[in-house]
Amino acid sequence: MSAAGRRPLLGLLVAGLGFAALAVAGLPAFYESFLYLIFSWIALATSWSFLSGYAGYFSFGHGAFFGAGMYTTAALTTMLGVPFLATLPLAGVLAAALGAGIGAVVFRVKRLRGELFGLLTLAVGFVLATIVLNTRIDGGPGVYLSAVPLPRLLASPTGTLYLLGLALAVVTVGAAWVIVHSRLGLGLYAIHDDEDVAELEGVPTLSYKLIAFALSAGVAGVAGGIHAMYVSYVTVGETFSITVPLYVVLMSVLGGARHWLGPAVGATIIASSLYVFTGGQQAVLGRALVALVLILVILLLPEGIVPALLARWRRWRPRPAVALAGPAAAPVVATAPAATLACEDVWRAFGGIQALRGVSLAVAPGEIVGLVGPNGSGKTTLINVISGYYAPDRGRVTLGTETLTERPAHQVARLGVGRTHQIPRPFAHLTVLDNVAVAATFGAGGATPAQARAEARDWLAFTGLDRRATALPHALNLHERKFLELARALAGRPRVILLDEVLSGLNPAEIASAIRLIQQIRARGVAILFVEHLIRAVLELSDRVVVLNEGEVIAAGSPQEAMRAERVVEVYLGKAHVA
Amino acid sequence: MLLDVRGLAIAYGDAPAVWDATLAVGAGEVVSVIGPNGAGKSTLVNTIAGLQRARAGALRFDGADLGAVPAHLVCRQGIALVPEGRRLFTRMSVEENLEMGCYRGEARRARADSLARVYALFPILRERRRQLAGSLSGGQQQMVAIGRALMARPRLLLLDEPSLGLAPTVVDQMFEIIRAIHAEGVAILLVEQNVVRALDIAARAYVLEEGRVVADGPPATLRQQSRIREAYLGLRDGDIHP
Amino acid sequence: MPSLTLLGQALVSGLLAGGIYGLLALGLSLSWGLLRLVNLAHFALALLGAYLTYQLGATFHMPPWLAALAIVPAFFGLGVALHAVFTYFRVTEFTSLLVTFGITVIIESVIQWVWTADYRRYETAWATASLRVGPLFVPTLELLACLTAAVLALATWAWLRFTYVGKALRASAEDPAIAAAFGVNHRAQGFLLSGVSAAYAGIAGAFIALIATLAPSQIWAWIGVVFAVVIIGGLANPIGALLGGLLVGVSESVTMAVAAPAWAPLVSFSLLILILILRPGRV
Repeated sequence: MSAAGRRPLLGLLVAGLGFAALAVAGLPAFYESFLYLIFSWIALATSWSFLSGYAGYFSFGHGAFFGAGMYTTAALTTMLGVPFLATLPLAGVLAAALGAGIGAVVFRVKRLRGELFGLLTLAVGFVLATIVLNTRIDGGPGVYLSAVPLPRLLASPTGTLYLLGLALAVVTVGAAWVIVHSRLGLGLYAIHDDEDVAELEGVPTLSYKLIAFALSAGVAGVAGGIHAMYVSYVTVGETFSITVPLYVVLMSVLGGARHWLGPAVGATIIASSLYVFTGGQQAVLGRALVALVLILVILLLPEGIVPALLARWRRWRPRPAVALAGPAAAPVVATAPAATLACEDVWRAFGGIQALRGVSLAVAPGEIVGLVGPNGSGKTTLINVISGYYAPDRGRVTLGTETLTERPAHQVARLGVGRTHQIPRPFAHLTVLDNVAVAATFGAGGATPAQARAEARDWLAFTGLDRRATALPHALNLHERKFLELARALAGRPRVILLDEVLSGLNPAEIASAIRLIQQIRARGVAILFVEHLIRAVLELSDRVVVLNEGEVIAAGSPQEAMRAERVVEVYLGKAHVA
Repeated sequence: MLLDVRGLAIAYGDAPAVWDATLAVGAGEVVSVIGPNGAGKSTLVNTIAGLQRARAGALRFDGADLGAVPAHLVCRQGIALVPEGRRLFTRMSVEENLEMGCYRGEARRARADSLARVYALFPILRERRRQLAGSLSGGQQQMVAIGRALMARPRLLLLDEPSLGLAPTVVDQMFEIIRAIHAEGVAILLVEQNVVRALDIAARAYVLEEGRVVADGPPATLRQQSRIREAYLGLRDGDIHP
Repeated sequence: MPSLTLLGQALVSGLLAGGIYGLLALGLSLSWGLLRLVNLAHFALALLGAYLTYQLGATFHMPPWLAALAIVPAFFGLGVALHAVFTYFRVTEFTSLLVTFGITVIIESVIQWVWTADYRRYETAWATASLRVGPLFVPTLELLACLTAAVLALATWAWLRFTYVGKALRASAEDPAIAAAFGVNHRAQGFLLSGVSAAYAGIAGAFIALIATLAPSQIWAWIGVVFAVVIIGGLANPIGALLGGLLVGVSESVTMAVAAPAWAPLVSFSLLILILILRPGRV
C-alpha cells in the first residue's frame, strides 16, 4: 500500500495523539468525561459494524458483549482482586469467545439470516442478563467498584479512563480501516451482497463471519470493562438495557455502516446531541428523538451520512478516469495444471423428485461440452452439484486428481472451478472492478487485494468492460452484466468453467461476441461445460454435446450425432404421430 | 377476436424477453404457442394474465384494453391462468385451492355448480378434496391447477406448459380434458414445448423463437415448415427423419 | 420440592399468564406470518392501549369494556396508517424490524412523557375477586383474559379457515402473484391485516391494564416472551399462538415455583433460541 493510501491511518494516529496531549495539558473533568463517553461509543459502534455493517448480519445483541465485559471486570476486581488493567484483556477475550461460540452454532444454520439473526442476538442479550442477575456474579444488588484501585495515568481518575477510552477508539477505528482494505473486508462485503455467490467465488464465509463477530464482541467487551470503572456501580438493569443495542445500530446506520469511519461519525453526532438532553423528562425526549432519527435515516438515507457526503464530494471533484492501459490479450489463466472434470454416477433428489439419475460425463482441458435438455431435466442442478453448492446423494465429482464432492463450495472454487449464473448475480454494492477482484483474491489464484485489482483490470479489458470499471452493477445493461459474470468467473483462475445460459437475452451481435470470447477461453486450455438453450450456438461452439432428460443422460457425442439421436428428437418434438 | 395482442414487447428490468409479439385468439378457439425454451412463451402468457406489464404494444380482450387493468382485476374480465409449474397454494387443501379460483364475485355465486363440474371432470379430486395440495402427485396437482382456473368460469383459459414433468399417459389424460373443456365453448391459449401435442389440438398455432413470432398458421402448414425443426434442434431441413 | 397445591397454583397462574401471552402473540403472528413484516411495535401498541384504558377509567370513569370499544377502532386506524408508511417506503421484512424498533422507542418515550415512569395500577372492584376451585385460587380477571384469548384465537382461526377473505389472506401469503391472478387484492389485504393486528394489540392492552401494574419499561420485558410464543406456535397460526402462550406461561410459572422467580425469563428466551436453531424449514 502506498504512502498516500496510508494517509487516513496517519491522520487517525495524529488525531489520537492530539486528544491525548489535550488531556495531559489538563482538561476540565467535565470535558474528560464527555469525551470519554464519545470515545466509548465510537469503539462500540465501529466494532458493531465489523460484522453487522460490513457483512450485513444486523446484531441486536451488542449489549450482551458489552455487558459481559463490564461484569468480567466487575467480578474479577471485586471478587478476585485482579488489578483493573489486567481485567481488560480478559474481558475482551471472554466476550470474543462468547461471540465465537454463538457464531459457531448460528452461522451454520442457513436460514438464520436477516431478521431471525437479529431476534436471536436480542434473545441472547436477555438470557445473559438473566444469568448474571441470578448467579453470584451479581445476584441482584449490583456490584460496587468504588473500592477498586485505578492506576493514575493522569492527574484525575477520569483522565485514566479518558486515555483508555481514547486508545480503544483509535485502535478500533484503525482496525476498521485495516479490515476494510484487506481480504477480510472484501470478503465481508461480498457476503453482505450475496453470501451464496461469495462462497462460490471462494470466500470462506463461515470463518470470516466468525472472525468478524469475535473481533466485534471482543472490542465491546473491552469497552465494557473500561465502562465498569467509569460508572463504578454496575447493575444488570443499566448494563443490559436496550440502550447499547439500539444506539450502536443507530450510530452506525446514521454514519454509514459500511464505511470504516461512518460509525465513528454517527457516534460523535448522536453522543454529543444526547449530552444536550440530560436527566429527567429531557432524557425521555432525547430517546424519542434518537429513535425518530433512526426511522428517518433507514427510510430516507439508507446508506448513511458519510457515503452520502462522499458521493456529493465526488460529484464536485470527479476523480480522473483510471488509466486502464492494459494488454488487449488475455492474461495468464490457469496457474495450476489443466485437468479433466469428471462426474461419476451423480445422483441427487429434492424431496420426492429425483433431479439427477446417475449422471456421468467428462470435460477435458480445452474442450467445450454443451449440456442441453428440456426444462427440468436437471442441467442447473448438475452445475450446482459440480460447483459444490449441493452435495450429491451418490456419486462423486473430480477435477484431475482432486475430489470435489464432500468439500465446502469455497474450497471447490479455490481448486479451480468457476461458474456463471443464468441470471447474473453481481455484488450489488461493489464496483465492477471490485466484483472481479473478489474472484481474483479468493479464487485459485489467491492474489493480494492490490494484485487482485490489477488482475481484475486485465480481465475487464479482456471482456471489454474496462470503461465500466468504476460503475456499480445496476448501471450495466444485461449484456455487460453477463460479461461481468464471465470476467468474474475467469478471474478466479479456473481450470474448468461452468457457463449457465450465458447467452440468453442477448441480441445476435452480442451472442457473436460472446461466442468469440468463449473460444478464446478455450484456447487457453480451460475446460468448459456450458448449458444453453440456443441450440444453434451449442452446435457452433461445442466439441461434444451431452443431452439430459429427467435427470438422465440420453445422448452424448458430437453435436450432429447427439441432436439427431432418435431419443433426443422424441424428447424435444414429441413422439411422431402415426400418420 | 376475443384476445387481440399486437406488437407486445415485454422485458424483465432491462432484459428483453419478448419483442413485437402479435397473436389473436377467437372465441371458443384453441390456439397453441410453441417454441424452444427461453423463447418467451411463459412471459407472454403471464403478461396476458396480468402478472406482468408489457413495455409496449396493445393487449385487448373482448375490446377492453388490458394494459390499463390492475393485476387483480384481470380475472374479472374472464381470463384464467394455469401457470407453468402449477403454482398451487400448497399449504391449502385441494378444495380450498379450487375455491380460490372462484374468488371473484360472479364466479363465487356459481361456486357449488362449478365445483360439481370440476369434480365430474376430475373424480379423483373429490376423493382428495381435504388433502393438502402440496402432497399430491404431479399429475393430480396439474388437475387442481386446471380445476382452479375453471372455477373462475373463464371465457379464455391460459395453459402454460401443462405437460411439464408428467408421464406420457398422464399427459394423454390431460389433453383429453383440454379437449373436453374446449367442447364447452371455452377459448384456450396453450403454451407447450411438446410440439406434436400442441399441433394436434390446435386450430391455429404460433411459433415463438427468441422472443419473436417467427411463423404462424394452421398445424398442417406448420408441420411442413422447417422452422420448427430448426428452432428446436438447430438442424436444417432434411437432417433428421422423424 | 414444593407442595402439590403450590404446583397446582403455579399451573393455574401459568395457564392464565399464558392466555395473555397468547393474546399478545395473536396479532403479531398474523401480521408477521401473512404480511411478512415484523412489527416490533406491537407490544408498545398494546401497552399504549393499556395506559389509555387506565386513563379513560381514571378520568372519565369509563368501564374498561367501553374504553375498549373506543380504543379498538382507533388502533385499527393506527395499524392501517403504519402499513401505509410501509408500502410508501417499500419497506422489506428486514427493514421493518428496524423501523418498528424505532417506533417502539418513540411510543415508550411518549408513554413516559405523559404518564411518567411511576407505576400505575388500574383499581377496579374485581381486581381482587377470584374463584375457588378446591384449594386453588383462580383470579377472575385473568380467567376472563384467558377466555377472551381462547375465543379470539378460535374466531381468528375460523376466519382464516372458512371465510373467503381468510383463504385469500393465506393464499396471498404463499403466492401473491397467482392469488392476484385470481382476483385477490394484495394491497387492500395488507391494510386490513395491519389494522386487525393493531386492533388485537388494543384488546390485549385493555386486559393488561386490568391485570398488571403498568410501567413504560414493560414493553421490553414482553418482547422476548411473545416472540418466543409466536415462533413456537408457528407464524400465522392462531391456535398455535394460544397453545404456545400456554406452554410458555406454564413453563415459566413452574420454573418460578421450583427455582427462583428471577429465572423465569430465561425459560422463554432459551426456548426461543432453541426453536430458532432447531426448527426445520422456514419459520
